[in-house]
Amino acid sequence: MTAETVYEFFQVLERDKISFTYRGSFSNTALAMATELIKNNMDEEHSKLRNKLSFLMIESFQNIARYADGEDFDEPTEESDFFMTRNVGKAFYIISANLIDNDKIAQVKEKLDRVNTSDKKELNDLYKTVLTNKQINEKGGAGLGFIEMVRKTKGKLPYAFVKINDERSIFFMQIKLESEEVDENAPAKSDENDVKIDDAQKIHKLVSSERVLMMHKGSFSQEAVAPVLRMVEDNMHSMKLKMQKKVYHFLVEILQNISKHGYVVDNEREGIFMIGIRNGRFEIGTGNYIDNTKTENLKSQIDLVNSMSLEELNEMYRKYLREGRITESGSAGLGLIDLARETDEKLNYRFIPLNDKYSFFSLTVKL
Amino acid sequence: MPQPLTIEKSKNNPEVIFNKEENIFKISGRSIVEDPNKFYMPIYEWLEAYIADPNPETEFKFDLEYFNSSSARQVMKLIMLLEKLHIAGKKVKVVWLFEQGDEMSQERGQEIKAVSKLPFDIIEYESDDFDL
Repeated sequence: MTAETVYEFFQVLERDKISFTYRGSFSNTALAMATELIKNNMDEEHSKLRNKLSFLMIESFQNIARYADGEDFDEPTEESDFFMTRNVGKAFYIISANLIDNDKIAQVKEKLDRVNTSDKKELNDLYKTVLTNKQINEKGGAGLGFIEMVRKTKGKLPYAFVKINDERSIFFMQIKLESEEVDENAPAKSDENDVKIDDAQKIHKLVSSERVLMMHKGSFSQEAVAPVLRMVEDNMHSMKLKMQKKVYHFLVEILQNISKHGYVVDNEREGIFMIGIRNGRFEIGTGNYIDNTKTENLKSQIDLVNSMSLEELNEMYRKYLREGRITESGSAGLGLIDLARETDEKLNYRFIPLNDKYSFFSLTVKL
Repeated sequence: MPQPLTIEKSKNNPEVIFNKEENIFKISGRSIVEDPNKFYMPIYEWLEAYIADPNPETEFKFDLEYFNSSSARQVMKLIMLLEKLHIAGKKVKVVWLFEQGDEMSQERGQEIKAVSKLPFDIIEYESDDFDL
């Protein structure tokens, strides 16, 4: 993951007002934090959707957990389960991706096709039949989840199976939820802005190849991103306390930086955050808008800390502890110094001018 | 006698207990406040009033599991305020507590000790699990 990667993600998710992807441990804590994160990010105009969205996120997330291998892993492999929630325009989308044995595909497909071709009455009948039917599979599914989902979305459940090898595939499914009441009897209108399921496949590919554990794009305030910290923690249990605290420290500094210095566009301090793990090392990336008048100063600060040795960084840090920071050129903020001295690699950054007012600034660090 | 200062801990700010009568001065928990100036202002002011009329002995305890870089500066400002007591010949000591195995808090304590001019103990204590 580099500063370029962060920008690439930002572009791919350009239309997303809120976006969240996850490939970590599908635990109850992670689920609770994911729903909280989305709730914290939702505007008033979508408030009516809150409960429904939470319900569907839970349903979808638990589906992944139910069919997951159940192995406790520290580092997801390239092919791993995936969960995403995004808000594009007036609609929210929940995407799940599960690894599935190829010989089970036909069975799942049949259930999905059935709910996708049923009308409201047929769905209600189907629901009752499945509820009272004893044919409940060993995972406790029986297709009730699909029926519930399709009843709540008032639309179809687009899906896709992407073959990995002769044994396994990835099963993608997308649930759409609209903030405007849709006429249930009207034929589904094709919306140009509609987000197709292959879009989610592209994003899945990107987060997988970049080994991104979690990605969040949205409005950044301390309250809004608090669940991010909890979710990351939930994925670090087996790590050494020192590593946990180091990652935590990085996250706090870097997220507070966005919420403090990010350039406000349309009343939002928009930003993107991602954390990945590759070969046992954490990679953290952030991106946000920055006022063009501030880029030179920030650039010189990063260049400065990148050019300094650990001893020099420590010395500067200690000096500022006592004296406070002298906000002249030739100095850097305590936060940046701290980031630089906790990593043995340089801070990787990019500034991309977007217009005459602001630029996109991205930063990655490795731990 | 100044009124005791008590601030309850939250997800983002530490617990503060300053009580001159009982001779307790302690800041504990996590400090990741977004506006450290605002949070630490009343704490600093209380301490300023205290050092004008201090107890014969002052033991100032920090038990910070985590603090962000802007809080670090505020912690240092409090310590530098206490240095005035030391210079005036009063008995004053900083006790930096950290949970067993928490190397980061230990190292941060050592760093602050290195730049402070006060008697400074760093003490490890047995702990529960680290809870973010």
